[in-house]
Amino acid sequence: MKRFTILSILIFVLMVVPYANAEIHTDGFVQGLFGGFVESDNPTLSDQSVSETRLQVRMSSYGDNGEFFSRSDFVYDGISDTYDWEIREAYLKFRLGSKIDFKVGRQIITWGTGDLIFINDVFAKDYRSFFSGRDDQYLKAPQNALRMEYYNSLGSFSFVFTPRFEPNRLPTGERLSYYNPFVGKIVSTNDDPMYYFEPPTPDPTFGNSEFAVRYQRRVGMYAFALYFYKGFYKNPRGLDANMMPVYPGLLLSGFSLRGQQFGGILWIEGGYYNSKDNEDNANPLLPNSSMSGLIGFEKQIATNLTVNIQYQADKMEDYDKFEAAQDSTFHYRDEIKHLITSRWTKMLRDETVMLSGFIFYSPNEEDLYFRFSTEYKYTDEITLTAGGNIFDGTYANTDFGQFALNDNLFVKMTYNF
Amino acid sequence: MKKLLTLTIAALLLTGLSMQTVSAQDAESIMKESHMAYYYAANDGVADVHMSIVSKRGKERVREFAMLRLDIEEGGRQNYFTYFKKPSDVARTTFMVHKSNGSNDLRWIYIPSIDLIKPISADDKNSSFVGSDFTYEDVSGRHWLEDNHTLKGEEKIGDKDVYVIESIPKEEYKGFARKVSYIDKATKLPLKEEYFDKKDNLEREFTAENIEVIDGFTTITVRKMNNVKKGGHTVVTFNKITYNQGLKEDIFTERYLKNPPREYISN
Repeated sequence: MKRFTILSILIFVLMVVPYANAEIHTDGFVQGLFGGFVESDNPTLSDQSVSETRLQVRMSSYGDNGEFFSRSDFVYDGISDTYDWEIREAYLKFRLGSKIDFKVGRQIITWGTGDLIFINDVFAKDYRSFFSGRDDQYLKAPQNALRMEYYNSLGSFSFVFTPRFEPNRLPTGERLSYYNPFVGKIVSTNDDPMYYFEPPTPDPTFGNSEFAVRYQRRVGMYAFALYFYKGFYKNPRGLDANMMPVYPGLLLSGFSLRGQQFGGILWIEGGYYNSKDNEDNANPLLPNSSMSGLIGFEKQIATNLTVNIQYQADKMEDYDKFEAAQDSTFHYRDEIKHLITSRWTKMLRDETVMLSGFIFYSPNEEDLYFRFSTEYKYTDEITLTAGGNIFDGTYANTDFGQFALNDNLFVKMTYNF
Repeated sequence: MKKLLTLTIAALLLTGLSMQTVSAQDAESIMKESHMAYYYAANDGVADVHMSIVSKRGKERVREFAMLRLDIEEGGRQNYFTYFKKPSDVARTTFMVHKSNGSNDLRWIYIPSIDLIKPISADDKNSSFVGSDFTYEDVSGRHWLEDNHTLKGEEKIGDKDVYVIESIPKEEYKGFARKVSYIDKATKLPLKEEYFDKKDNLEREFTAENIEVIDGFTTITVRKMNNVKKGGHTVVTFNKITYNQGLKEDIFTERYLKNPPREYISN
């Protein structure tokens, strides 16, 4: 770990020196985002879901040897009256020979084919941002990683090494409330500070680092990919012996296929989640291994109107063992969880107005999440956005039902420079 | 006498027919030459593009991007690579097209802020290119065999002699019902194009605003599309044009979509 840090710093210094004379390009935005909860009985401290002023500064520079890029956010939080900042990205890109690309540093990583459904993309997500109206770019949380891509005639091979496990950012109970299974209701830190939900991550040892691989190539009109990941579930889906939430170990292998078909884009993706700390799926405190598959199709169905639809099925490996450990007074999931999603995007007035909606609906979990927004590019610099997030579930402990009291509406104004 | 009349009519018909055929062929070959001069100049091309989109009310929006083009087959398959610089909310976004006549083009977009490569369904070639008055097809070209062309006459635009050619789509097409092109006899470049809708109203009008000879290739460096029907117009200015840079096909792949080739593209 230490060696890795020193190595990264060394590479960084070696790479930055030649940039001393290079031109640095700077841009970014200033943004105000304000939102409020729709439901009056949300237990959170504030009835504002978000109130922040954000400055993002992007800097980039490149030379003959590579490229440097950074994106830093400075945020004033109006609810807590505090300031915060985060380096969203800061990386170096360079080429080794003609076939190998490196990207080292803090970065956002995405792969896979699903639209907001992630099977093989196990890079960190930020659902706190996603649920509260921040820009799409904030759904992806940064991670400190070393990425290497190797290209040859067989296809491309990507390796991502993340020395320290980076979990998903989930609602903590502070800004957004969540369902707590121990007390059997939706809670927030306003009820009791002990409801603050941010489980400890695995120790930063080499053995606990994350390792992800992808192989990709074109097969006719399709892009075909194989994936492998060794690390942990990104959500704290398990409990330890003291009934404290933990990130269980995970081995994931999967594939995807995507290409033009039927006048649109068709994609298929599948993955096997091996809950590696739960041999034979015998431990009811840890997740069962599972198979997950999705199929999606997107098409421009009218001028400036694009629609997609996806179906995902997630099947537990040993449902009997899972079911035997459930308390029948609470809702628990079916062996196969079905999920249907659809995105609608309509552009108006020379693409200056964009209406969009995205719905997640699970018919057998009776679970729903709907997000929508209207974006108006008033000028090249100024964008006005209004939107909302609606959660609805028959049961309080489903994927979206647990956030049922967080329905919110927001407005956002961005000045790009 | 009757026989003579029949013969005369037949002869007239035949000459009429063949005349028409000759002019159709001429018109088609002119359109082909024009297409080659306009869309396939040299083997490849690199340019910095400035696009000014002016609305009916006079409000201006600006797009700036670098554009790379590589011809795989002359008059046929072509690859395009676009790197956006402005406005800043789309800066660093890249866009790639594999154009193949006959089948659907393949298009990809890369959004760097979320590291996302997304193929785009390219069903509607007639949709606007980045909100401008140009369509995707205006940018990459409509194959000359998709329309029937007729030479309508010859005229002068300024001091240049032009052919006036009318094109009617072979299959019903949303983009236009009829197009009249004014093709420079000397360079075969279109100096003006008029697009008419089903009711034969002038919808859009293209004009070549500036022409320069670059690396031996006559190039329209300032292109204007006047949106007569909707109001407003778009002016596209090509700067720093270079031809035959020896672009490799490799550049038009996902690898470069994520890592723009800096030897051709500045920030």
